[in-house]
Formats: sequence, C-alpha cells, structure tokens
Amino acid sequence: MDFGYLIFVNENDESNYSTLAYALALSIKNTQKEGYDKVALVINNRKYISNYKSTWVFDKIIELDDMPEGWDVRSNMDLVTPWEYTVCLDADMLFFRDYSHWVEYFIKNTELYIANKAYTYRGDVVTSDYYRQTFTKNELPNLYSFYTFFKRGCYKEFFELQRAIIAEPEKYSNEFLTNKKPKVVGTDEAFALAAKILDIQNEISFPLEFPRVVHLKGMIQDWPYPADSVTDHVGLYIDRKGNMKVGNYQQTDIMHYVEKSKITLETINVLEEIAWKTKEEV
Amino acid sequence: MNKGVLIFANNNRQIDYAKMAVVSGSLAAKHLKVPVSLATDETTVAWMKQSGQWQEALTVFDKIIAKNTPQDLQQRKFFDGPTSTTAPFKNSTRPSAWSVTPYERTLLIDCDYFIMSDALNEYWEVDSPLLISDQYNDIQDQSRAGWLDSYVSDTGVKLLWATTVMFTKNDETKIFFDLVEHIRKNYRRFADVYRFDNRIYRNDIAFGIAKHILYGFETDKGYSLPSVLSVPDQDMIVDVENGAIKVLSKNLNDYTLCSIKDRDIHLMNKQAVLRNIDKIKETV
Repeated sequence: MDFGYLIFVNENDESNYSTLAYALALSIKNTQKEGYDKVALVINNRKYISNYKSTWVFDKIIELDDMPEGWDVRSNMDLVTPWEYTVCLDADMLFFRDYSHWVEYFIKNTELYIANKAYTYRGDVVTSDYYRQTFTKNELPNLYSFYTFFKRGCYKEFFELQRAIIAEPEKYSNEFLTNKKPKVVGTDEAFALAAKILDIQNEISFPLEFPRVVHLKGMIQDWPYPADSVTDHVGLYIDRKGNMKVGNYQQTDIMHYVEKSKITLETINVLEEIAWKTKEEV
Repeated sequence: MNKGVLIFANNNRQIDYAKMAVVSGSLAAKHLKVPVSLATDETTVAWMKQSGQWQEALTVFDKIIAKNTPQDLQQRKFFDGPTSTTAPFKNSTRPSAWSVTPYERTLLIDCDYFIMSDALNEYWEVDSPLLISDQYNDIQDQSRAGWLDSYVSDTGVKLLWATTVMFTKNDETKIFFDLVEHIRKNYRRFADVYRFDNRIYRNDIAFGIAKHILYGFETDKGYSLPSVLSVPDQDMIVDVENGAIKVLSKNLNDYTLCSIKDRDIHLMNKQAVLRNIDKIKETV
C-alpha cells in the first residue's frame, strides 16, 4: 500500500514554514504506525531544510524551482504527489496520536475526501463563520483543505477546475462569489467553489466524525469576547512526551495551531528526541 | 443492586433547608418509588426536633445521617425575587456523598430540586457509574442563561450541575468524589489553573473539574443526566394550584407568568419555596 502525507512549503528568508513542516513530519513519525507514517515535502529550495538534524523524517523531498508565490502551489497537490494515496496537510499542524484508522477508511471507501468541519480546543465543532463569510454568504460547501485525502489520478475534473479558479480568481469571484468576495481566493475557497460547480460536495465531503482537526484561530473558539490570537487568552504547552495542552484541555486531535511562532527550537528538540528514541526502538 | 435518593440539607439561620428536604424527599419517594435518605448535621437535626419536623422526617426518610455541623465560613447572597439577603452557604459536605450514602446506586439531589415525574427512573440501569447533568435549562429560555452557566470560566472547562448526580458506589466513583474533595480543599489553587471565581465554593465547579481531569483533561461527551430545568432565584413563586407551580419569571423590565406541572424542577429561590412549602407539599 502506497500511502503518504504531503506537505507544501514555499519558504522565503523571513518565514519559518520549513520548521513547521519539519515539526509536523517529526510528529507524524512519532505517532503513526508503520505504513502510515510516510511524508513527502514539496519545497521551493532544499537549502531551507539543510540545517535540520533529521531530514530522514521526509521520505521524499520534491524541489520545485518555479513555485508561484504564496500557497497557490498547493493546487497542484494531485500532480506532484509521489504517493498512490495521499493526505495533503497544512504545514502548521501537529499530530498527537495514531490516526491511521481514518486513512484506512478513506482508502477503502473514497477517492477524494475533504474535511468539512473543524473543532475548537475544547473539542466542540466550530460553528462560527467569522472567517468564512464567503462560504456562508455564497452558500459554498464548508470545506477545509487542511486535510485532503485523494487517490492519484482520480477526480481530475475537480482538481483542474480548482486550479483554474486559483489561476483566475477575479473571473470566478465575479461570476460565483458575488454575495461576498474573498480578499484572496485560497485553496479552501477554490475547493469549495469547484465542488459546488461540479455538484460533487456530497460525494467528496459527506458527513463523518473524522478527520478531527482543531483550528486554533481566535474568533472561532466560542469565547464570550473577541480574540485576535488564542494564546493571548490561554496557554499552549508541550511536554517532553510531545503532548500538547491548550488551556485546561489535553489535545488528542490533529492541531492546526495557526500561530507560527509557537513552534520554537525547544519544541523541535522535544520532537526530535522522541523521534530518535522511536527509531532506535524500531 | 439497592438504589435510593440522597438529599443534603444543612440549615443556616435564614434558610430552613431541612424543611425543603422533607418535601423534596417525599416527592422523590412518591414519583421514583425508591427509598430516600437525608444527609445533614447535628445542628439541623436539633432544629428539626425543636420545630416539630422530626416525626415527619422519620416517616419520609429511610435513613437520616447526621454528621458534625460543617464550619463553612462563606457567605452568599440569596435572592428572593428583586430583594436579597446574605447568609452562610453550607455546601462543603457534598463530596462526602460517596461515603455517607446507604445505597449501591444513588441519586444525589439538591434539597431545592423537586421531583414531579418518574423521568429519572430511566437512568438507574444506565451502564455508567457516574452521571451528572451537564446543562442548565432555564424555565423561560436559554437567553437568560449566562456564560458561567455552561463553563467554569470564559476559557475553562464545562460546568456540571451537581443538582442531580447519579453514581454507583465503586472504586471509580470513590476516586471521583475524593478528587472533588481535593479540589474543594485546594479551591484557590484550582482557581488559578482553571481561572474561575473562587470567592464562593461551588460544587458545580468542583464536579466539572473533577470529571474533566478523570476523563484525561477532555470533555466527556458520553452519558449524562437530563438538563436541570431551573427557576432562578430572581424569579418568584406565586402559587401552587392543582399540582402546578406558578412562577413570575423575570424579564428585563417585567415578569412573565409561567406554570410548571409534572416536570422535575430546580426552584432556586429558597425563601419563595419556604413561603409556599405547604402548598408544594400538597402535591405529594
């Protein structure tokens, strides 16, 4: 079975996405069972990961010289993946337990699945549309590209259409997103619009209790006041076993932590130490 | 497995909790058809004897368990509609429920919780050693419920309603009640970690945090008791007629007349309950 995770990094000298992707890959190696722990990194320049001690956590490194700016390159996930079955993740995520049973389900039952809900740090489904006005006002399916499962070669029409939307955002916004135009047509909007145009949302994002991804954006945590960033209000703690607590809550679902500065060298050291021990045991 | 209801009642100088407990116990026995015991203190027992309630209590309760009078120093405001009085709030003995209950499966209720139906009989056989209500249900609607009726603090854990708790006496629930007692004794320290207002000890908060901790610092979304239908203490009980409790329910500028019948109800305005206690007793 040829399954792996796929992470995109479009780094520049001021960002730290390669560090985030490295932390995610370490956490995948530390928690997923064999056969479900492979990671491919797509990066604009290998030099950004040259200083890391354990680049073996990336089973494949794909260097793309001509990456477009920003995150538009993710729209090519179906073209660049080295895996037969892929879950494409955002770089600013961490794993805390074995989620391979989700992947097993997707491989057995679907060819494309896109997450359709996110969770708060308390484990409740996010209900606020504060960051998703484009979706509610234009009646788009509530898709989150941060966890996208697909089988290579399937749903070509969908991937081509979302690429076309990313390539010509103005054209599609003017035509289809008239009730609320997004400032940027990102992967989430492109996926949702493509799914709506093709009328396949029920095929590629039917109701499931998983994947469970905690989305740590401030305004959707169901707090009684506005919050720009979550860590202004609750602490984010990682212990030496790689466990994370947010406020009083132990995190066991995939964490999309959003605040990039939270992955420090200390965090990396903790995750590396666990990865080395795990590798020695194997 | 023997089962029964346990009610705690510790009088203060202003509020005769024992008097409420006698009626609450009678209603529980009538509707659930199980024995009911009272957990109280020596001072309250002395008052029950002096005020002529004792004989009636002996007929209502299966057992009356009297411990030392709790030395709670905390005071709280008790609203009676638009007015209020400040009085001692003696609620520290609740964590002892595990050790004092005479039953293997216990339904623990507040003495201001009046059981008017057999709804809770559905829960005796539920395969869970500990069931607690996790939701406040306002008699008017949820718009009157505040944030702190759902969570112990803005960013903290789910508040549980210790008004109704059902537990099986086993090792697991012993750990739970021991932890509740530990939280009670170290309330300020837990307030620092869980960021709640620690000026008054609340069992609801201690039970909520204990369950959160024992569930691995996550919210247990498993079985729970039904939401606690409540009449807050700023509402007023005006009458009890044909088994229906009539309440003036407070709005922003006026009141709405509500009537509750055949529903288990948490009447939080203690003074109003005591003014109408004889009429409530007539529903037994």
